[in-house]
Amino acid sequence: MAPNSRPTSVLDSLGEEIIRIVTPVSICMFLVVILVSVLDSSSSSPSSVSSMATIAYSETDSDSSWDKFLGALWNSLAFVAVVTVVTFVLVLLFYLRCTRFLKFYMAFSAFIVLGFLGGEIALFLIQDFSIPVDCVTFFVVLFNFAVVGVLAVFMSKMAIFVTQGYLVIIGMLVAYWFTMLPEWTTWVMLVAMALYDLAAVLLPVGPLRLLVELAISRDEDIPALVYEARPVTHSDSGHDGGVVQRRVWRERHNSAHDPAEVPITNSTVNPGLHGNSNNDSASNANGTSIANENTSPGSLSVNSVHNVTNSVAARERLSQDSEDKSELSVPLIDHRINVGSQGHEDAIPSENLALEGVGLGSSGAIKLGLGDFIFYSVLVGRAAMYDFMTVYACYLAIIAGLVLH
Amino acid sequence: MTVEAGIGYALIALGPSLSLFVSVVSKKPFLILTLLSSTLLWLISLIVLSGIWRAFLPLNSTTWWPYAILIITSVGFQEGLRIFLWRVYKKLEDILDAFAERVSKPRLFLTDKMQIALAGGLGHGVAHAVFFCLSLLTPSFGPATFFNDRCPKMPFFLVSALIALAFVTIHTFSMVIAFNGYAEQNKVDQVFVPAVHMVAALMTLVNFSSGGCLVAIPLLYVMAILTLMHCGKMVWRRLTEN
Repeated sequence: MAPNSRPTSVLDSLGEEIIRIVTPVSICMFLVVILVSVLDSSSSSPSSVSSMATIAYSETDSDSSWDKFLGALWNSLAFVAVVTVVTFVLVLLFYLRCTRFLKFYMAFSAFIVLGFLGGEIALFLIQDFSIPVDCVTFFVVLFNFAVVGVLAVFMSKMAIFVTQGYLVIIGMLVAYWFTMLPEWTTWVMLVAMALYDLAAVLLPVGPLRLLVELAISRDEDIPALVYEARPVTHSDSGHDGGVVQRRVWRERHNSAHDPAEVPITNSTVNPGLHGNSNNDSASNANGTSIANENTSPGSLSVNSVHNVTNSVAARERLSQDSEDKSELSVPLIDHRINVGSQGHEDAIPSENLALEGVGLGSSGAIKLGLGDFIFYSVLVGRAAMYDFMTVYACYLAIIAGLVLH
Repeated sequence: MTVEAGIGYALIALGPSLSLFVSVVSKKPFLILTLLSSTLLWLISLIVLSGIWRAFLPLNSTTWWPYAILIITSVGFQEGLRIFLWRVYKKLEDILDAFAERVSKPRLFLTDKMQIALAGGLGHGVAHAVFFCLSLLTPSFGPATFFNDRCPKMPFFLVSALIALAFVTIHTFSMVIAFNGYAEQNKVDQVFVPAVHMVAALMTLVNFSSGGCLVAIPLLYVMAILTLMHCGKMVWRRLTEN
């Protein structure tokens, strides 16, 4: 039975986009679980990491459950307050069109995460496994690693596999760092961040909503750390005359924005405008006063930005050279990129999946904010400190949620 | 015993399913989704069962018949789950066929349907192996090993890995047989699957007797090979009769 002699079945390509998101999330979670179980706290790690997340209360084992819960609540409130303030600052900067500053800041924060957090974890590993390496080599390697990571995330012209790999690594590092927080604080913080996300997106004064409205009114992309999967190509869809069409999913219940058809001839959307604008850096593990892990909520908040960004259904027609440009950014894909519109030029295709929280990149690829990666990995990483069955069950639940939504 | 031994035990239990996954399932994203959802369903069935049985724990470990009742109820529940899966799969097949019509692709081939069944069965098998073998393997990464009193010839981890491998095989291929049996209304296939599952599960009770594992494990593999052969015959028949 020669497989090439009969037409491809529908089973071959169904669900491909979802799998392309599920795979990196799984890899990130898996790496965090491995890190947590290898760098077990049986080796004397510090009892708590002093960071922005623990300024209100540091947990000790001798406190009662209620005290711990209250302390964790205070911690989370402080953390959410800081995140809110910083997000408002971000909105202000975006409003004042300081985009370059934001991009440089993002690059700087990515460098900090990769260099310092990555360096810390590498040091733990070297300690645990007694790897013989001298400081000069270590420094040079770490520096190169961080710089390449910044370039990969910051500039879009790198091979997409490298970019994806670095995004996963950044997610893994931040998630691992979060799992080192005291226990109750971690759980309450996850809940608090979820609630904050909801509030910031849905309330009319929410900073994220303001941000998105600004971005939509200017038709700009928000600089953010976003994981973009390789776009799905359909090999039998060549009848659009060389025009790359971009779908933006319409949010079902947002009536504030009417779905206007906005033809944009010159695509200013650069998928390289990535960056994390919420990270106030200086994350020095020796516990300097404002060592904070704001990367996560920053990307978390920007992720939910895509919830509201997709409230406008727009169709873009990229010109032929932009199409080449978008092909450049996906160097391993040869075919023309056409996101399954099947020749329906005017109507929004009814196959619009209207997924919330997952958006489409400028080349039609599926996107997921890095905050989601970190959130899930922290959850699974924490579970890994107890038992592997918990990890397995949590993993399945998260994947089920990701696929179904 | 060491990291190598731990990884070795894990691969004994999950190696064939890993190769099945890489060669068949990973090529088609839909099969990956099927595998994940069947794993989740199996996990949920376990949770429900443990919820029901919580009231009767701890079981008296000197007699064997409470365990027999436990096994019979669990297997019965899981076979019921299989019928439920079949119903869901029928609906899914209709949806997929309708979708195929819309995108002007051919309807599901026979091999596609068998692959979906295989992915479902593999999900069950992998879930079984992870829960009944991998969860126990964490100590095996350390410096020592462990022998059970009633099975002094083989390390405990090896025994659990071998049993897990047998059950992975049984689960994977009985799903294919079962789905085919329901599709063709073939009574033999429909009865074969629950029967094999029940017999295999009850056989593990033989491990209770001293030295029993030396008898139970080969018998278990006889059941696994029986499942494999039956599945092979059935698939061959279906594929060549067109």
